[in-house]
Amino acid sequence: MTRILVPLAILEGESVSAGLTTLLEPMNVTVLGYHVLPEQTPPDQARLQFEERATDALEDLAAEFGADEGTADYRLVFTHDRKQTFDRVAAETASDVYAIPGATGPVENLLVALTGDVAVDRIVSFVTELVGDRDIGVTLFLATDDEHAGRESLEAAAVTLFDEGLHVRTELAVDEPPLEALVDAATDHDAIVMGERAPSLRSLIFGEETERVAAESVGPVLVVRNIEDADESVEATERPSPSDVADDS
Amino acid sequence: MGDTPPSAEGTNIEGESPQVEPTIETDEATITDDAELERTIGLTGGLAIGIGTMIGAGIFVFPGLAAGNAGPAAAASFAIGAVVALLVALPASELATAMPKSGGGYYFISRGLGTLAGAVVGLSLWFGLVFATAFYLVGFGFYAVDTLAELGIAVGNGLVIPIALLFGAGFTVLNVTGTENAAKLQNGIVALLLSILVVFLGYGGLDAAGIVGEPSAPEQFAPFGTLPILTTAALVFTSYLGFAQVATVAGEMKDPGRNLPLAMVGSVLVVGVLYVVTIFVSTSALGSERLAELGETAMVEVGRHYLGAAGAFAIVFGGLLATMSSANASVLSTSRSIYAVSRDALLPQRASRINLRYGTPHVALGMAGGPILVLTATGQVQLLAEVASFLHLIMYGLICVALIALRRNEPDWYDPDFRVPGYPIVPVLGALASFALIGFMQPASQLIGVAIMLVTAGWYFYYARDVTLKGKL
Repeated sequence: MTRILVPLAILEGESVSAGLTTLLEPMNVTVLGYHVLPEQTPPDQARLQFEERATDALEDLAAEFGADEGTADYRLVFTHDRKQTFDRVAAETASDVYAIPGATGPVENLLVALTGDVAVDRIVSFVTELVGDRDIGVTLFLATDDEHAGRESLEAAAVTLFDEGLHVRTELAVDEPPLEALVDAATDHDAIVMGERAPSLRSLIFGEETERVAAESVGPVLVVRNIEDADESVEATERPSPSDVADDS
Repeated sequence: MGDTPPSAEGTNIEGESPQVEPTIETDEATITDDAELERTIGLTGGLAIGIGTMIGAGIFVFPGLAAGNAGPAAAASFAIGAVVALLVALPASELATAMPKSGGGYYFISRGLGTLAGAVVGLSLWFGLVFATAFYLVGFGFYAVDTLAELGIAVGNGLVIPIALLFGAGFTVLNVTGTENAAKLQNGIVALLLSILVVFLGYGGLDAAGIVGEPSAPEQFAPFGTLPILTTAALVFTSYLGFAQVATVAGEMKDPGRNLPLAMVGSVLVVGVLYVVTIFVSTSALGSERLAELGETAMVEVGRHYLGAAGAFAIVFGGLLATMSSANASVLSTSRSIYAVSRDALLPQRASRINLRYGTPHVALGMAGGPILVLTATGQVQLLAEVASFLHLIMYGLICVALIALRRNEPDWYDPDFRVPGYPIVPVLGALASFALIGFMQPASQLIGVAIMLVTAGWYFYYARDVTLKGKL
């Protein structure tokens, strides 16, 4: 089963809405409680002071996601660098998806964005698994300049989901700014599923696309991770460190 | 890496015991029972801490003072300092890879040699960093006044200390309230400084070697004999204190087995070469007498000599950045060293409290900032530098002794990724050289240093006599 990482700034009171908890019920969940520290503060110093409080909160959250049934667990990390922590824990727990928690009631409509160079197959199979036999409507969304090719790939994905018994609609935005079109389409949906893209100049300047969508749409965003990135970080973990070689002095 | 860390037990006078938990160290995080601590500082960050702390003093403050004491042979003084620093950096690297924890030298010594030595070193390091920071701030004050002079506002040296105090207070407040990550800024500043220096030294070096520019009459290399070379080495050793600051963030370094030794040894090598070349170039440019007259900001005139007003401005600007980054990096190290001793119950544990609003250790930063301001107010550049060196050199010597003690009877947990080449000669020489350098300082500095050590020992016997920190040896 796919594992979803739910990072929460636990000591800043960040929490998950009931709607997201219900949506993620059938999945394996790792709640990642993190606390970002300024560089003046050694992480260990913060741990001594805050560990107990954070652990209490995380235990409760993990229980909501089904820790008692064994489908949820939690990690607590003190860090200077949020992104680095997300990537490491996602790779270590083999989480294919991470959630940006937002506010939502019960999720009845899911917007699934297939725009751009994302792993459509993995997104589609994740949505199939997530929705299962629940009564959740799925809207496949694609913004493109090439209407014909866009329509074809939307239809292909829709057929796959339809064959699995899901209620599918499609929405194509042609020659519109992709991000704005996505945020517009999100207004009548409760949550968004989208793919993570490789970092680009644009994302360096304006921030990650996924975070901007989350900020503008208010609701939760489930991000299917860019697996190439994940593979690299797994390799980085397993690569023997050069220091192992330097031992013979 | 050590998965069975040294034991710690006992309580201090307030009934607090050392807060030590078993941990598992990986290249990317420290894993405790319930939490993980991300390692976020890479090799570049480590080098920036080391070089950034050191470069301000050696290049921008000392050349005038050192040339006045030893003549052109001041270059040899800096070279001696580099050799001593290297002899300590190697053993310190081994210990740091065996114990990649916050606290650096204090941690190694308390685990290797026991609580008394640890307490004296840990508390002395606090004061040593305070003296060093005050010294950097006074240097900064001189550069600030010179910057104003370059801009056509002559305010005179009377404002050096007030400016230093103002900025010292400013750094402390910024460190308590600032949650922006300044690490990237620090990396950028160090890169910029290195570029300024390489251009300047490259041109100056060609000139000094007689390839470009007008030939100048060579000066006698050691006009005052050999003893001043050694006393100057003791004075300028303050410009090599930064490599041990790398060890204070050992708990936050990625891949510590590789990056810690590279950052410590690498930063000593880089600044050592730059220092020697700088002295060579500046004594060739102006002669040591003229440098001595110019004092703390002599380098500005050297810059003017080679590259005109642009050169002077580049050096003034570089000096401001460098002394500022040294001061700021030391304030951070000071608060980390206070945390390390208070975690082990050698100081009240409330010293390492973090405030909720900013997530910063305000008590420890205050305990760093307060004494720094008092010392800055004295304005005694040489004395501040020497006392800082004295207290650090004691720690450096003991680091070498701790390494020998651990190696002679290796505990199970002792498994460093990096082992000192040339053991036992390197640590023995490192210890001897560190203690010997202290012998060449002014009597006043030695007295203050010994007094501080006695006070810290007294504190240990009063406050934390029952605390045991020594590892399972």
